Amino acid sequence: MANYLAQFQTIKNSCDRLVAAVEDVCDLWPTVKGLFEEHQPLKRAFLTNKTRNPVFVENLPVEFILTTDARLRSRFPQEQYLFWFREPYATIVLVTCEDLDEFKNILKPRLKLIVQNDEREWFIVFVSKAHPSNDQATKNVKKVYAKLEVDFSSKKRERCCKLDVHGPEGNFWEDLELKITECIRNTLDRRAQFYEDEIRKLSEQRFMPIWNFCNFFILKESLAFIFEMAHLHEDALREYDELELCYLETVNMPGKQRDFGGFDGEDDQAVLLKPGSKPLTQIVQDDSFREFEFRQYLFACQSRLLFKLNRPFEVASRGYSFVISFAKALTLHESVLPFCMREVWVITACLALIEATASHHHDGVVAPDIEKEFFRLQGDLYSLSRVKFMRLGYLIGYGTDIEKSPLNSACLSMLPWPKPAVWPSLPQDASSEVLEKEKTILQATSRTKHFGIQRKALPLEPSVLLRVANRRRASLSTGNIPEMFDGRPSFTEGSGLEASPRTPSSLKVQAPPMSRTNSSPGNFESPLDRPMRLAEIFVAAEHALRLTISDHDLLKTLSSIQDFENKYLNLTKGAAENYHRSWWKRHGVVLDGEIAAVCFKHGKYDLAANSYEKVCALYAGEGWQDLLAEVLPNLAQCQKILDDQAGYMSSCVRLLSLDKGLFSSKERQAFQSEVVTLAHSEMKNPVPLDVSSLITFSGNTGPPLQLCDGDPGNLSVTVWSGFPDDITLDSLSLTLVATNNTDEGGQALKSSAATVLNPGRNTITFALPPQKPGSYVLGVVTGQIGRLRFRSHSFSKGGPADSDDFMSYEKPTRPILKVSKPRALVDLAAAVSSALLINEAQWIGIIVRPIAYSLKGAILHIDTGPGLKIEDSYGIEMERYMDADCDTGASKAEVFVEDSPVSSKRDSEVLNLCDGKIVFSDWASNVSSILWVPVRALSEKLARGSSSVTPLKQDILEGMRTVALKLEFGVHHNQIFERTIAAHFTDPFDVTTRVANKCNDGTLVLQVMLHSLVKANLIVLDVWLDLQDGFIHGQNDGRPTSTFFPLVVSPGSRAAVVFSICLDKSMSSEGKDLQLPESILNIKYGIHGDRAAGAHRPVDADHSETDTEGRDLVFKSAIVLQRPVLDPCLTVGFLPLPSDGLRVGKLITMQWRVERLKELKESEAVEQQHDEVLYEVNANSENWMIAGRKRGHVSLSEEQGSRVVISILCVPLVAGYVRPPQLGLPNVEEANVSSNPSGPHLVCVLPPLLSSSYCLPVK
Amino acid sequence: MANTACFIIVGRNDIPIYEAEVGSAAKREDAAQLHQFILHAALDVVQDLAWTTSAMFLKSVDRFNDLVVSVYVTAGHTRLMLLHDSRNEDGIKSFFQEVHELYIKILLNPLYLPGSRITSSHFDTKVRALARKYL
Repeated sequence: MANYLAQFQTIKNSCDRLVAAVEDVCDLWPTVKGLFEEHQPLKRAFLTNKTRNPVFVENLPVEFILTTDARLRSRFPQEQYLFWFREPYATIVLVTCEDLDEFKNILKPRLKLIVQNDEREWFIVFVSKAHPSNDQATKNVKKVYAKLEVDFSSKKRERCCKLDVHGPEGNFWEDLELKITECIRNTLDRRAQFYEDEIRKLSEQRFMPIWNFCNFFILKESLAFIFEMAHLHEDALREYDELELCYLETVNMPGKQRDFGGFDGEDDQAVLLKPGSKPLTQIVQDDSFREFEFRQYLFACQSRLLFKLNRPFEVASRGYSFVISFAKALTLHESVLPFCMREVWVITACLALIEATASHHHDGVVAPDIEKEFFRLQGDLYSLSRVKFMRLGYLIGYGTDIEKSPLNSACLSMLPWPKPAVWPSLPQDASSEVLEKEKTILQATSRTKHFGIQRKALPLEPSVLLRVANRRRASLSTGNIPEMFDGRPSFTEGSGLEASPRTPSSLKVQAPPMSRTNSSPGNFESPLDRPMRLAEIFVAAEHALRLTISDHDLLKTLSSIQDFENKYLNLTKGAAENYHRSWWKRHGVVLDGEIAAVCFKHGKYDLAANSYEKVCALYAGEGWQDLLAEVLPNLAQCQKILDDQAGYMSSCVRLLSLDKGLFSSKERQAFQSEVVTLAHSEMKNPVPLDVSSLITFSGNTGPPLQLCDGDPGNLSVTVWSGFPDDITLDSLSLTLVATNNTDEGGQALKSSAATVLNPGRNTITFALPPQKPGSYVLGVVTGQIGRLRFRSHSFSKGGPADSDDFMSYEKPTRPILKVSKPRALVDLAAAVSSALLINEAQWIGIIVRPIAYSLKGAILHIDTGPGLKIEDSYGIEMERYMDADCDTGASKAEVFVEDSPVSSKRDSEVLNLCDGKIVFSDWASNVSSILWVPVRALSEKLARGSSSVTPLKQDILEGMRTVALKLEFGVHHNQIFERTIAAHFTDPFDVTTRVANKCNDGTLVLQVMLHSLVKANLIVLDVWLDLQDGFIHGQNDGRPTSTFFPLVVSPGSRAAVVFSICLDKSMSSEGKDLQLPESILNIKYGIHGDRAAGAHRPVDADHSETDTEGRDLVFKSAIVLQRPVLDPCLTVGFLPLPSDGLRVGKLITMQWRVERLKELKESEAVEQQHDEVLYEVNANSENWMIAGRKRGHVSLSEEQGSRVVISILCVPLVAGYVRPPQLGLPNVEEANVSSNPSGPHLVCVLPPLLSSSYCLPVK
Repeated sequence: MANTACFIIVGRNDIPIYEAEVGSAAKREDAAQLHQFILHAALDVVQDLAWTTSAMFLKSVDRFNDLVVSVYVTAGHTRLMLLHDSRNEDGIKSFFQEVHELYIKILLNPLYLPGSRITSSHFDTKVRALARKYL
């Protein structure tokens, strides 16, 4: 059946749509052809696919052909089944008739004859030509059509429809379309079934010798073509997939050895998207097809169908897999194919797929994830073509221009060399090209890395090209063995790249065989068999590629370095863009690095820097330092050339931050010198630099530094330097951040001078000013190198002291400084609360108690208030103080006093007051101590005694004295504590006097009570009284009546002494002035007391050890003695009233007796007359009527005892109890007048008697 | 036995925390860098595949000429990546499972910060022993 292949292809090319035959019985087709063709393609066709499922096909084109057409008439019956796909799928019978009899006699038999062939799907279209206005013709047409329907339509299927040329019915075309679709569906099912049956028969013979793939292919593709014409693309695609599987199975059958193909002129260009590029008759081979062409043909058919299904993504996906698998097939046949056939085919295939799928792709049509996958496939195709293109470029000598990056190195060095049967040899006339190529190799010098980095270049070869090419050459050599041995030394020269700088030595190596060859006359072919040099390999490969490549555009891109680089750049950009769109950022960014390398080579440093920054950001962000070390020097070089100082500085710091194993110490020193040099230069706009990865810091191990509020201090911080050499910082600052208040900014601590950081660990001490209370952690370290301002905000480990690993992820938040809240650090208090002696030298005790704070070097300022002064002649004693309760303290104090001679050097000291201040000793820094300050309270007032009649209240404030204390302490005397201590001073005694008794002779017994006011035993040695005027001493001349001295008065107790005094009667002496208005009580006493308890012996007594008694003390108190108040001179006596009582209206005589008791004083006598006394009667005029004189003088002798009686007449006026008249002496003071006997207060007055003098009896 | 193998553990933040060149072939000086580059590029594939399957062992996620990248994703999204040229899939899976248990033991150390570099020599010794055993 091989002859059917050409016919099959010819027929297939001429058919592109389904055919519907038109049986024109009554010559109606010219009339209705336009109408029919206007209504195609079919709008909504329902077909059935291979699995009997309905498929909705839109816009199914159908071609109407008359049965008398030449295309349907000239066919032979025996060929119809094989090419059944081209036969009509429906038969439309056009009839018209207006006469019933004509229908019965002529038309009906003819129609029955036409439709008797059951293999054809048919239906009848009755065309009516009757005009609607002609009622008779319309009726006749209807009758004929009804008859037609009865004859040809059955219950199962309607086969008739009516077309009215003048006005067709509304649903006629829909009805027509339905009928055509039904016919097509039935025909399609029948023919598909036929083809499948035939295919199954042939498949059963697959493993038999008579198996013929061509026949199978014709049937399979016919079935696919049927589906394709019916727009059932899914089914067609499935047929092609099955065909491909069957073909691969046939190809892999081990029996037959077939030709692969690929030797035609333009076979290097992939035709996987062009099914008609080569006729099938050309690629047929016995009973099958050549693999090279047929597999591409199959893929092209599949792609065409997928494009019709609007699935470019699937074309890309299948295409990528197809390219990979087809490349493997090309590898198997590489030895017989032209040189680098595989590489060229892959390039053209990928580019064709990229172009086709991109043109068919529309954004937003498919789901986002499918779209991402599509872009990834595009990127993969670009990358694959890029790799092959680089390989070709390398083979013809462009390897020195390919960037030796990890991407290119990984792609090329892991890709095996092409394996031709014979490596291409050098043409005869290519000497000039060889010289040109060698010149290019010599001129190509590798780009020197910045900073003098001596990193070894990554390889671009899987193995040494020189060895591979010459080994293949030598294996076919016909020369003798000695010449082959002479050629061996060139194999061991190293990699191909290393051979390029050693070309002169290579020439020397090649010279001896040539000379020996010339000297041998018998071997004429020796020059052709010598090993080729690298340049010769390149030229030979170039010539071979010109024979392989038929695409002029591809050939042009390999003709020069510039064109090669342009193509290379386009492929790289295409891959990068598609990878970015597919969210494969690593692939995309890595390819951006390749673009940057090309831009860098051509001087476009700004573009290169932008791309390099992306690559560095990717590697640095993900911590791949080995890969970052490859790219970061390039970025730094770009930034330096572009004069981007900030970026360049940052890049150098990042280079220093990488692992130490990636660069040598010499290189790292170069990085540091760049940083320092640039820092000290005149930068245009200095920017802050983050060196967190180079300079890290941590607090010292151990507890945090504890300070009190207001305390300065020194803070030690460990700073780790990652610089390889010493680096000098002009300034260094550290920020402290309070943990309890995050809103507040940190406070900066500055290092005093320039700091030199050594590599590794450094300890920096910062002066710490007073801080607010709180907990502080380390914040940021900032500093300055030249004009560069840097900062570091990361911590290093605070682990072992010898650990140099400062790239840890640990970020401890351990507080490094704690400042306590303001609290009492020291307490100054009075040691004694009871009173001290006034006007005597006394010790004031001041207790100094440090509260968890050192008082080392403290200075105490002592300032006394008014009325108090310090005895400068004595020192201030400082002793250790036992802090206990009162009783225990007292007892311990006594014990302490006993032990003081033993431990005086350690626990007590005498300090001298200088300028009002004393300095504490070291032993008193942390213990409670007591200061004894000698002071004297001054008071000019004389103590005044009180009497029992008018007690005198003591004013407490009079004895109050104050001592102002100011203590400066702390490391820098920054802590100040001030307090004013109150001290009480008092007199030793409180004196109270009273008159105990009065004797008949006028002697008074005066009792004086002494009340002790201090907490000490007072010993009274002597008491005497100096009397004021008006009083004289009794018998003892001012001494007490009893002598019990010395008299001991306990604290708080009382004692009394008694004096005998008399009133002084010699007041009449004239001219004597009042010398003493008050009496003075003098007390001579001693005191036994402890200064820790209260009043004590005066200060000077302690120092005079020889005088045990000491000086006696004298206390003076003023006492006021008053003369008696009552001193009568006259007395007035009331004489008794008559016994008959008082009655209203009755006259009564009242009498008073006035008697002189003693003579008046001289001063009073002057005012009074000597012998007359003025009297006055006082009475209530409403109650009494006075008859007689109310006021007058009576004669009274001055002698003592003289008497006179005064009498007056008075009449009571009111009855009841009334007050009687009173007699008074106006000119005599009341003190000198007494009443004896006293008169009554009230008298009873009776009512008046009834009177009969005015009543006369009636006669 | 694999001739060429490079094993890298990548943390959840895409930072490599452990690297080891395992295998019996003589190593080239620059092979480690190329292997790291290939595994770094394969992370693009893993980030798509990791969310499409519930299995931890992702088998062969990428190919690079004759080298294959196999990945094992832990529950915490730590990726154990192996670049190898052998076809011993069962051995590779067992290797991953054993190393995963070692990694869990590392995580149980309270002094180890998750995401930081694994510097335990004991871990390194055990990983290399497992590589010789299974790969």
